Amino acid sequence: MNLDTPVGSKDPRVEAAISHWAPRFVINGVPLTDFQEVTASIECWEDWCRAWSKRAAIHEELGNAAHAEGFNLSAGEHWTRAAVCYHFGKFLFVNDMAQLRQAHAKAVECRNKALPCLRPPGERVAIPYEGTTLYGNLRKPVGGGKPPVVVMCMGLDSAKEEMDDYENRFLKRGVATLAFDGPGEGEAEYDLPICPEYEKPVGAVIDYLQTRSDVDAKRVGVWGVSLGGYYAPRAACFEKRIQACVALSGAFERKPSFEGRPIINVEAFRARTRSRTLEEAGKIGVRMTLRGHAKNITCPIYIVAGTKDRLTSPDEARKLAAEVSGPCVLDVIEGGNHVVNNLWYRYRDQTADWMAAQLGVAKR
Amino acid sequence: MSAPLTNPRDKRVEIAIHNWAPRFVSAGVPLADFDEVTAAITHWDEWCSVWSQRAAVHEQLGRRALADGYNASAAGHLTGAALCYHFGKFMFVHKLDEMRRAHDKVIECRALALPHLDPPGTRVAIPYESRELYGILRRPHGPQRAAVVIMCVGLDSTKEELDVYENIFLERGMATLAFDGPGQGEAEYDMPIRGDFEAPVQAVIDYIKSRDDLDPDRIGIMGVSLGGYYSARAAAFDKRIAACLSFSGPYSWVEIFDGRNELSREAFRVRSHSKTMEEAREKAQTLTLEGAAMNISCPIYVVAGELDRLTPPSNAERIVAEVSGPKVLQIVKGGNHVVNNRRYMYQTQAADWMGQQLGVPRT
Repeated sequence: MNLDTPVGSKDPRVEAAISHWAPRFVINGVPLTDFQEVTASIECWEDWCRAWSKRAAIHEELGNAAHAEGFNLSAGEHWTRAAVCYHFGKFLFVNDMAQLRQAHAKAVECRNKALPCLRPPGERVAIPYEGTTLYGNLRKPVGGGKPPVVVMCMGLDSAKEEMDDYENRFLKRGVATLAFDGPGEGEAEYDLPICPEYEKPVGAVIDYLQTRSDVDAKRVGVWGVSLGGYYAPRAACFEKRIQACVALSGAFERKPSFEGRPIINVEAFRARTRSRTLEEAGKIGVRMTLRGHAKNITCPIYIVAGTKDRLTSPDEARKLAAEVSGPCVLDVIEGGNHVVNNLWYRYRDQTADWMAAQLGVAKR
Repeated sequence: MSAPLTNPRDKRVEIAIHNWAPRFVSAGVPLADFDEVTAAITHWDEWCSVWSQRAAVHEQLGRRALADGYNASAAGHLTGAALCYHFGKFMFVHKLDEMRRAHDKVIECRALALPHLDPPGTRVAIPYESRELYGILRRPHGPQRAAVVIMCVGLDSTKEELDVYENIFLERGMATLAFDGPGQGEAEYDMPIRGDFEAPVQAVIDYIKSRDDLDPDRIGIMGVSLGGYYSARAAAFDKRIAACLSFSGPYSWVEIFDGRNELSREAFRVRSHSKTMEEAREKAQTLTLEGAAMNISCPIYVVAGELDRLTPPSNAERIVAEVSGPKVLQIVKGGNHVVNNRRYMYQTQAADWMGQQLGVPRT
């Protein structure tokens, strides 16, 4: 660190985290005061995971107490909050894999405990994939029948345990959700490197959906956030069982260089692609492209981008919109940050309504 | 003398920002709205109009969703719009015309949302001393005759701020009836704040008894902030109340009145229809549980924040020391006013407790 750095100033990695992520953390379920207090207490990045895990443990304990008294609905809420706090402790903490893994195990454990208590409840599902298994959380809307389902693709640092708010918006509108950890993500990040050819894991997920009698595998949508905003359209290029696609702040094609990106993001990409060097990681990055493929997207697609996105330029969304062959909604949101988490009311309900309509669910 | 370093912010704006971020956000205001709107305001005079501008964004999204037939989305946007208009209005008593314009929008947006909420809400008129009070009634899915929780708002809250609270009770099988009492919301123009709040609550209970979709034998009451005094006060006098929740309510309003910030005191002056602060202080004396708290015989759950500077936790301690029925006292470590910074410490817990008192099966 520069010797001129004033005493008491924060680690730039912590500053980057705070300046990028307050809106994301809060809308995805972290209480505002938790965000403020936990980040204020962290001086250097190395403290990040521990401080968040400590806060998460409070919510976990509240969940345990509610559950012990038979208040399952409350327990589900507390455990979901605990899972989100553990998750954000872990999300980019690739500098200390032992700690990351410990927090991650807690995130998964808490969300798993919450699943049966949610309204509607969720179910942990195992999805066969290339001789191994991917894990997902499946939730079906109230009302029964055979609902359509949206497959939810995570990004570089998100995991299925972060998806409660998004899931609820689809579920309210009659669409089932299956958020899953794909290669390089969540439970799959230890054994499977990031997979640019993401049509493969999505294909496995749809194969799995076809084995179930309680969802309609003929009405499958795909949705992706951040890097998942590349994965979802990538899958739609190749996988014709997909009926509709929502892409949030995804890249059209990644550049080999990581210039301008926060160091913690770059490190996460390196670690989760299983690369030893950034050069190696860059080579995997350039395989992430929709160029020449996007024209194969014939299903309806809804693309969201923010004009103030510092991680993925809104031009990426414009390029994608220009190349797809099917119906396209391009929503470049003025003032929106990465994934437009600051202006979530501009697209979260709107994309859920749109997806429900594409999958043949009556407006509600 | 050198020039001032920066354009100093109006102290009243600082008070608002400093005290209320957790309240606004946990009630449903998007965090970026709070950050951007408050950053745009330097003088208190701008408060209401800047919030109303932001509210109009949500209102427009809601109206568009309604027009497109996306009613669930419309309900969300319009509830958000009502909240932003509400927080524009909530303490803006020094410009009543502007406050009232924003307030009309609050009511209009929430009313547009009501039929599309899950479960839906209805606007109800409650006969009260030859006039009417207005409330929002929502019934849970399931029971024919639901247990019901009467929700008392405070000095600056109104029935339109309570969506999050309502949902927590509704999900647990209880109906909610949030209402604007004297000095609050729709009633603040014609009816001054009154210390004997058992009178309006009595009218609300009479109204509940007139309905066949609510259970008159299972009525609870909840109050937030000054409403935490109102709910306890009503429980002391109206024995039809089966259980009481009191969040950060004063034991004796006058005793903490002088310690309140200027926005808070001024809101009380205007809403108690007092010409001067002296007169307001006189009226403040009528808001007390002295000689009343001992008559609270129903179960009561009292919540306070350890760090609450508006209503110090000693108020809660006094209340529970005097009641004669079963009681729970929860002073939340690190909690601010109404513990809005740590809602997870008491909100679902208190709702679950209320469900137990009202004989609702655990969920």
